[in-house]
Amino acid sequence: MSLIPIASLSQGTYIDENALQPAQVNTYWNWQDVHRADQYLYHLEGLRDRNSTSEERAQFIRNELANLGLRAATQNYTFTASSGLLSGVNAYAIMASPRTPSSEAMVISATWRSEVGKEPYNLRGISIVLALAAFLKNYSLWAKDIIFVIGDGYLDGMQAWLNAYHGTIPPNLETSLLEYTSGVIWTALNIDYSGHSFSHLGVFFEGLNGRLPNQDLINSVRLISHYTGGVPFIVYDHLEPNDFPDRWQTTSILANAPDFIRQSPQLQDFEYRAKNIVRHINYQARGKPSGAHGLYHKFRIDAITLFAVPATGPHGFLALGRIVESALRTTNNLLERLHASFFFYLFTSPGTFMKIGKFLPSAVLVSAAMMISGLGDWVNAGWLHEAVTENDREEAAAGGPSSKIQGKKMVRWRMRRRPLLRPIFTVLGTHVMGLLAFNLMRSPIFVENHLAASLLLFGALTILPFVFASLPDRTPEVAPFSLLLKSFNLCLASIVISTTSLLNFSLAAILAITLAVPLMYSSCSRSSPPRIVSLAKYVTYSFLAWGWLFLRDEVKQAIWNWEVLGIWFAPFICIVYGPLVTQAGVVSLQP
Amino acid sequence: MHWLQHLSRHCLLLLACLSALTLAIPQEERVSNFFGRHTGTSGHTNNWAVLVCASRYWFNYRHMANALGMYRTVKRLGIPDSNIILMLADDTACNARNQFPGSVYAKAGRHLDLYGDNIEVDYRGYEVTVENFIRLLTGRVDPSVPRSKRLLTDDRSNIFVYMTGHGGNEFLKFQDNEEISAFDIADAFEQMWQKKRYNEILFMIDTCQANTMYSQFYSPNILATGSSEIGENSYSHENDNDIGVSVIDSYTHFVLEFMEGINKTSQVSMQDLFSSYDPVKIRSHPGVRSDLFQRPLESALITDFFGGVSQAEIFPVIEDADTTTQHIIRVSSPDHVVPPDPVSPQAHNGQDFDKANATAVMPQKDAVALDVRWRDIRKWTSIVIVGFLVGWVSLVR
Repeated sequence: MSLIPIASLSQGTYIDENALQPAQVNTYWNWQDVHRADQYLYHLEGLRDRNSTSEERAQFIRNELANLGLRAATQNYTFTASSGLLSGVNAYAIMASPRTPSSEAMVISATWRSEVGKEPYNLRGISIVLALAAFLKNYSLWAKDIIFVIGDGYLDGMQAWLNAYHGTIPPNLETSLLEYTSGVIWTALNIDYSGHSFSHLGVFFEGLNGRLPNQDLINSVRLISHYTGGVPFIVYDHLEPNDFPDRWQTTSILANAPDFIRQSPQLQDFEYRAKNIVRHINYQARGKPSGAHGLYHKFRIDAITLFAVPATGPHGFLALGRIVESALRTTNNLLERLHASFFFYLFTSPGTFMKIGKFLPSAVLVSAAMMISGLGDWVNAGWLHEAVTENDREEAAAGGPSSKIQGKKMVRWRMRRRPLLRPIFTVLGTHVMGLLAFNLMRSPIFVENHLAASLLLFGALTILPFVFASLPDRTPEVAPFSLLLKSFNLCLASIVISTTSLLNFSLAAILAITLAVPLMYSSCSRSSPPRIVSLAKYVTYSFLAWGWLFLRDEVKQAIWNWEVLGIWFAPFICIVYGPLVTQAGVVSLQP
Repeated sequence: MHWLQHLSRHCLLLLACLSALTLAIPQEERVSNFFGRHTGTSGHTNNWAVLVCASRYWFNYRHMANALGMYRTVKRLGIPDSNIILMLADDTACNARNQFPGSVYAKAGRHLDLYGDNIEVDYRGYEVTVENFIRLLTGRVDPSVPRSKRLLTDDRSNIFVYMTGHGGNEFLKFQDNEEISAFDIADAFEQMWQKKRYNEILFMIDTCQANTMYSQFYSPNILATGSSEIGENSYSHENDNDIGVSVIDSYTHFVLEFMEGINKTSQVSMQDLFSSYDPVKIRSHPGVRSDLFQRPLESALITDFFGGVSQAEIFPVIEDADTTTQHIIRVSSPDHVVPPDPVSPQAHNGQDFDKANATAVMPQKDAVALDVRWRDIRKWTSIVIVGFLVGWVSLVR
């Protein structure tokens, strides 16, 4: 896994879809349009300074869009989560394609808040969307409808709008269906421009539950950014080492290293790539979208956020407008959904990426090792050997039914029963326990008194498994419970890791690290350790499994993410990860 | 005034002699003199063009532009719309993404609208299929198909077949869902030959690995040329940044550029066109296949295929058994759906062909030689007479 950032393992990006034809058009966005964006910005700053309500802001935006002659409307929404109500108002407008039936659409969106930069409000992003609406409607070459959406809040507004658009309103969302709709949305660009000016254009692409947009979209925008906008394109807001050598020195973790290490371009490059991957894993493993674009992926819409990396210059509305105009011309060329390029990839730098085939083995190998070791335990549990000679062991290792028969006759290998009921109950029991815990965590009582509740819950989750670890069975005719449980535990974990690795590599990689080590070392040296030691081990495992309960904000955020956005991370940890580690703990408890 | 009377009498006599000489030339030779400026070459009497753009979608704009560029050229050089079968698999001119609706341009800067007001697309959109193309060539069309969608050729037709699209080793993709193979086209041409549907064919193709497409031809009188070798791509020539896509392919661009210098009376030969190919500029290696073609390329004029310049057919007066049979064959009109005779094809092959072709061409060649001699004699006679008259007049004075 630590090899992933090595440059030579990555390959260059390329455009796979013929229809896209990126960066091949003249753009007509000019200073007049920039001026218009500045005027919108002036009004929006006024709204911000007056502490205006969501309703006022949305109304202002709706009116401006309607003044352009577009079909514009607002949408009120209220989410009910265990942490409270959350409501807001979105504004949107639809520009009908001049010459086609409105069966397909592309979206340009911006949200009121921004969470990446220092500025909390994405005013410039909204201004440029409004100015683009005014600009784009002057052209008749749009083969798809263009939808302009200004979402309230950071993610909630966009989530409400998308659900309403697609008619998939969950029970905890209160909103009406949209007044105006268009066709199927194929691509979406979300603009996050909160700073004053920008030096680089960063791309954020991770979506809900680790879904990624088609790589063609990112690659196209990268080319457009370079050739049409003249803006360097980066992944996230990570500047490349050679972009700003002086600034790099201060941010690098190698800053205090000796000169020859600090100056080494290979190491700098490695650090840069590793940084990108860690950021990616951080978003993807938690299933957290890295911006409002991530909410689109659920509806099979390829979307990215363009983040204007704050700086004192040199770029502004002019460059960004051109890039968006050209990007829309590109997505306008699409004849079918983006499908040609990769959906599973790791961006190590803006121009290089890793295919799934290159990084997947790192997690799958760990999972395979766990599976083999689990099966090994299962076989071991079936046999008891007494006074083994060198010769016998070889024959036993040769395996197969013939050696079994031989073993009975000649060697002191004896079969023993493997009672399955208890381990199975333990496994099921811990997972049910996790499910109960998860439901408990969503109750308002838990939310209100977090510390007390989590202490209680932690205690319960630690003590309950003792039920499963009742009397040790010491008869030699029966396989030890702990060995069987360990075998089950390892096989289950291996299956979980290998299946997740296909859906969400980052999560699988994290699991491979956090599960493999504790699970492999959970048992069970021959000489039974003192009771205290095994108890201490058990408590450690319990902390590994449920200790995160005390991270109040994290838990709250994860629960909110599940309830509002439908991110599987919280239930996954409660129902899969926690119980698996608890099972390992139970194994360690057994003598 | 006596000598003047004499002079006028002499002049009259002279004119009478001259007119008698002229009258002595057979009618058909005079006609052949008139039309036969380029005879001794092709022997065709009508020109046809089949222009195929096989790929659809907006980003294949350039293929439509290729075919339309050829359309403009053959039309300019005199092939009428009734003799051009234009197949366009998509309508880029009216694509919603086209910033210039109703127009197709083949050059950045957009100086010349290839779509214009006067264009006749015979097969369009989903009508452009492999089946329709082969039916068109071989004439096996449904009786309901209008004449404008048929290739109404005969054994004196020179056909220019131009194809463009996305292709590969021995195939060309039609419509993104089917392919025509080099064998299909070769067999279609053979069938055409057996059914006497052509005199000569110029096959030109612009696609990736284009030269493989004519590798399977085995019928006579086919001249073939393609844009790129096996394993080689054909590239587009340039983009127009307002249209937003490539507007023409490199090979076609340079062929068309060469064609712009040709007019109906040009004597430029196919060899000149082939010599103008520049692999560096085209960015692929165009190929030519002339082993089936029975004339030297130097004497095959561009206008034999691209132009509507044709000869009237002259039947020699000599009652030759061979030519009589030929008459009869020609009478059976080719636009009827004639089911192929399972027995006869063999008879038309090989030797038979040579004989028929020879008889068709040879008498004309003789007539031409005779005609040239006659012209010479007349010329020298009149010079001598005029010289005599001038000398006589001056002597009398």
